[in-house]
Amino acid sequence: MVRPYAVKGKKKRRKTEERYDKQEEDEEENHDQELDSVQTKEEEEPDQEEKEPEEEEEDGDSVELEGIPLAPSTQKPKDQPGVIFILEKASLEVAKVGKTYQLLNSDDHAHFLMKNNKNPGDYRPDIAHQALLMILDSPLNKAGRLRAVYVRTEKGVLIEVKPVVRLPRTFKRFSGIMLQLLQKLSINAAGKRQKLLRVIKNPVTQYLPIDSRKIGLSYSSDKLVKMHDYVETFSDETNLVFVVGAMAHGKIEPDYVDDYIAVSGYPLSAAYCITMICQAMERKWNIL
Amino acid sequence: MAKTSKPGGAKAKPSKKKKSGPESIAMKVQAPKPNPFETIWSRRKFDILGKKRRGEERRVGLARSRAIEKRKKTLLKEYEQSGKSSVFVDKRIGEHNDDLGEFDKAILRSQRERQLKLNKKSKYNLSDGEEEDFDIPGFGALSERDDFGEEMLPDDDDYGGDEAADIEKDSAGLKQNIMEMGSGGDENKHKTKKEVMEEIISKSKFFKAQKAKDKEENEHLMEELDKNFASLVQSKALSALTEPGKMNALRSLVKKNIPNDQVKKDDFSASQKLDQEKPDLYDKMVKEMALEMRARPSDRTKTPEEIAQEERERLERLEEERQKRMLATDGFSDEEDEDGEKPSARRPRAISGDDLGDSFLLDEEPRTKRGWVDEILEKRDAENNESEEGDSSEESESSENGSDEGGSDEDSDAHEENPSIKDWEQSDDDNLETDLDGEEEEGEENEDDDDASEKAMKPRDSSKAQEILAIKTSERHKDSLGSRKKNADEKQPSTRLDIPYLIEAPKTLEEFCALLNNCSNSDILLIINRIRAGNAIKLAAENRKKMQVFYGVLLQYFAVLANKSPLNIELLDLLVKPLMEMSVEIPYFAAICARQRILRTRTQFCETIKNPENSCWPSSKTLFLLRLWSLIFPCSDFRHAVMTPAILLMSEYLMRCPIVSGRDIAVGSFLCSMLLSVAKQSKKFCPEAIAFLRMLLMAAKDEKLMSNQNIQYYYLMELKELQPLLCLRGCVNKIDPLNLFTIMDLPEDSSFFDSDNFRTSVLMTVVETLQGYVNIYEGLSSFPEIFLPFLELLLEVAQQESIVGPLQDKINDVAQLIKTKVHECHMSRQPLQMRKQKPVPIKMLTPKFEESFVKGRDYDPDRERAERRKLKKLLKEESKGAIRELRKDNYFLHEVKAREKALAEEERTEKYHKVKAFLEEQQHAFKSGQLGKGRKRRR
Repeated sequence: MVRPYAVKGKKKRRKTEERYDKQEEDEEENHDQELDSVQTKEEEEPDQEEKEPEEEEEDGDSVELEGIPLAPSTQKPKDQPGVIFILEKASLEVAKVGKTYQLLNSDDHAHFLMKNNKNPGDYRPDIAHQALLMILDSPLNKAGRLRAVYVRTEKGVLIEVKPVVRLPRTFKRFSGIMLQLLQKLSINAAGKRQKLLRVIKNPVTQYLPIDSRKIGLSYSSDKLVKMHDYVETFSDETNLVFVVGAMAHGKIEPDYVDDYIAVSGYPLSAAYCITMICQAMERKWNIL
Repeated sequence: MAKTSKPGGAKAKPSKKKKSGPESIAMKVQAPKPNPFETIWSRRKFDILGKKRRGEERRVGLARSRAIEKRKKTLLKEYEQSGKSSVFVDKRIGEHNDDLGEFDKAILRSQRERQLKLNKKSKYNLSDGEEEDFDIPGFGALSERDDFGEEMLPDDDDYGGDEAADIEKDSAGLKQNIMEMGSGGDENKHKTKKEVMEEIISKSKFFKAQKAKDKEENEHLMEELDKNFASLVQSKALSALTEPGKMNALRSLVKKNIPNDQVKKDDFSASQKLDQEKPDLYDKMVKEMALEMRARPSDRTKTPEEIAQEERERLERLEEERQKRMLATDGFSDEEDEDGEKPSARRPRAISGDDLGDSFLLDEEPRTKRGWVDEILEKRDAENNESEEGDSSEESESSENGSDEGGSDEDSDAHEENPSIKDWEQSDDDNLETDLDGEEEEGEENEDDDDASEKAMKPRDSSKAQEILAIKTSERHKDSLGSRKKNADEKQPSTRLDIPYLIEAPKTLEEFCALLNNCSNSDILLIINRIRAGNAIKLAAENRKKMQVFYGVLLQYFAVLANKSPLNIELLDLLVKPLMEMSVEIPYFAAICARQRILRTRTQFCETIKNPENSCWPSSKTLFLLRLWSLIFPCSDFRHAVMTPAILLMSEYLMRCPIVSGRDIAVGSFLCSMLLSVAKQSKKFCPEAIAFLRMLLMAAKDEKLMSNQNIQYYYLMELKELQPLLCLRGCVNKIDPLNLFTIMDLPEDSSFFDSDNFRTSVLMTVVETLQGYVNIYEGLSSFPEIFLPFLELLLEVAQQESIVGPLQDKINDVAQLIKTKVHECHMSRQPLQMRKQKPVPIKMLTPKFEESFVKGRDYDPDRERAERRKLKKLLKEESKGAIRELRKDNYFLHEVKAREKALAEEERTEKYHKVKAFLEEQQHAFKSGQLGKGRKRRR
């Protein structure tokens, strides 16, 4: 009896979500168009080259001389290929400690975890935090070449992280946001109705681009490569998916990975590994 | 199926909860055929650590079948009875209780029966099996109630419950009652209602009386206490222990109480009311007294280190403010500065990668807006400090002036003063005074009215900056300061004793001159100091005006003194100190005076320059005044009410005055060096001074080398012909340092100006000044363009054979300096580049989340809305539940009805078939003529 409702509700939600994005994009486009039209009206000059620098000056508070021409702007990052990161086995687990729900970490809940016969060493949400910060702070992301970040927790919950999110810098606040995310299943932007973080359905492969190449990073892999050279081997058009483990011990073994590589002879932290990837990609795409 | 029935469990849940473990098992056992669905347990999707599993182990199938069972018991019954007009109510004990078995029920019933039999009331009754007919008063109510209600076990005989309660309240009453009961046990029963009532009334009267008595006693006690307290307060024993404010409060309290007491005697009810208030007040007072401080320690005297630290902090702050003013792009008053600063703070700064984000509360703008009150207070403090230390620093300042300018006390020749100039100066000063007086009177009101607000304006600038200047000089001359001060201290008392100690501030210059007549320099200073001390602004409000007038007079005196043909340098130096101190005290007025004078000088200058015959270079008076102002007011300010016009005036002199004589050159180079000292800190660019210096250097060249190409550089200068005034012809043995005062005193056509000695000295100063400018402007990006022409000129000049060794060395040094600086500047220049577009980062969005999130709580800041939403949610939940239940009920009923219908249909068809069969048989029999079965049967 209730089944039809459930089906209905799910459909509706997905539709509305998609509509939000579309609306925003439409609005942006409209805004751009309006700007253009206004300027053409004002100037009555269809000269494209003259218009662009003026737009720039309106945007930024540039005090440079007017006579010096601007360097030509590059292609829009949206049309270019991007990078997707997947953090596997992230230990983001919520538990009821005392009367409140908390994100388990090895520092604060060691006693609690011991009581529940768990190894406190396995509960390391800080790894995921650092890794996410490294991804989101990279120039790669600032340039708009990061498509998405997916975090799959040890328990199998899949979280989508939008590249535009400004994650909390402190761990305590990160715990707060993850706690809310795992209970509410989505986190909105402040002042906007855009969803920045949300829990999505498994498997992660359904969200990856079709032609993408999935690269898993593992210390245990025999294929030890120089990251810069390895990245250069791919054509500029391929989307790359990097799968990195965000756990303290063990290794990742998802089935969708095409190629396992090791980037160093030493076991690296997730954050540093991601930094290496980002740097390699920035070099490949000339992002400074 | 399991999913749909899960919500249905909500109804079944409470009933299940009541049941204890064994029963539920019994139910399971009871089920004849276990429904396979009932064995399915609900599964939890996420296992959350630490969460209790209570209430989760639910078997949805079982719950569903239970719900159906329940419906069968309730809804089905109702439905069955819906068509009936009368209802049979089963009131047997334990019939509705499902928990009880048959045996239990029987036990309960037999218990009740026995209890009824053993009842006290019926003890004396004859047991003839007619118990029911007895009319027992205690059971009157019982007969109406349910006979089988469990709660009606009559274990006590509390008839007349109200009376019993009264009795129990008072032990004495109870005793009495018991006595009565003991004396006439059977009488008690025969008491009429009237008697009972009387008894109650008398009792209640007795209690009331007792209560009133108690109260009265209490009041007496309280009165006594109050009296004692009042006497205590008046005895001043308390005053030693408490603060005076508290004492007053106490006294008033006591006073208030005394009349209250009197009123109390008159009006009882009123006093009662007041009584209730009084203890509160008193309690409050007591608490306050307990909490109040016994004694307050005064502020600890500061150690010298602390004082030094504070002083250092203050100086740092002042320097910071000076820097701010130097760089200010708009406005010169502090208020405007701060306004201008705000937008920059508001400007969206580039967020660093490690920024905590907007949502982080602690990350607030550290820059707090200072209230104007603070500023004023601060300013006052600064002023106080200033006046304290003024003695030391200012004195050293004056001494420095002396070393700077002084040295020639003696006058040389008869100095021909330009009478016209003198005239205007005198008249001007008088006019000025009256003007200023008028202005001041207008300003006076403001000043007196809102002294503070006015102070916070411009004067601050000048006073502060002046202070900085003074302090700097004091640092330089720290060693010499001590001895000088001592000397001054010793001197003062030893001077003439007939100077009155209290001198009224002179109103005009004549008065002042008369006062100072035939006084030595130190006496003049003493007189001025005494005037200032006697009329200090702090002493009286009207003194401010007096001092303003006196300041004007003093300034006038200074100007007149500077204009006298034999310059009294020593006196001038001495005058600087009081003038500076006074301009600190009345900065606003000082600024107005200076501005007015500058304005006058400028108009005068404009007029004189129209006549090319006149030498329009500034007189010594103007030079002295300009120098004085540059000491009084801050030179480094980006824009200053006095210094900006003063600088402009100096530049104008340099630009427009034609150089006629050697004296003009000397004055011009002095102006240049003054501009240099003014521009030193703020590094303001003054093209006039540079151009003038260059022109002087060009004048030092040989005539034949003069090329026309350079002339066009001087299109700005109102310069007709450039004479090689400084061209050296002969050799000079030594270079004497020039003395401005000597030169000023010399006549224009003095032979001294034609001597090579003078020329060499001028060239030396010019080169030194140039070096100063080079050092100042080395940071300018156009440095090579400004100073490269100098390089050539210097080299050319240096090549002349008539230049003496030291001068040549100096020139070469400067040339080398310019060369290296130009090279550095050229090296640091970058080629023209295409403008780079800064890559625009994607717009980051801050997620919205709560610090301590609790699931299910509404985090809406609008409480009302949240509440409303909560209620709405509750309502929706409830209505959904109700709808669900109704739907299930309907479904159940529909099933029942359908079953009934099917049953009825079946019955009907059966009947129909039966009837039909019968009819068919009849028909058959009829047609066959009673042949067939029937006949056979009949047979």
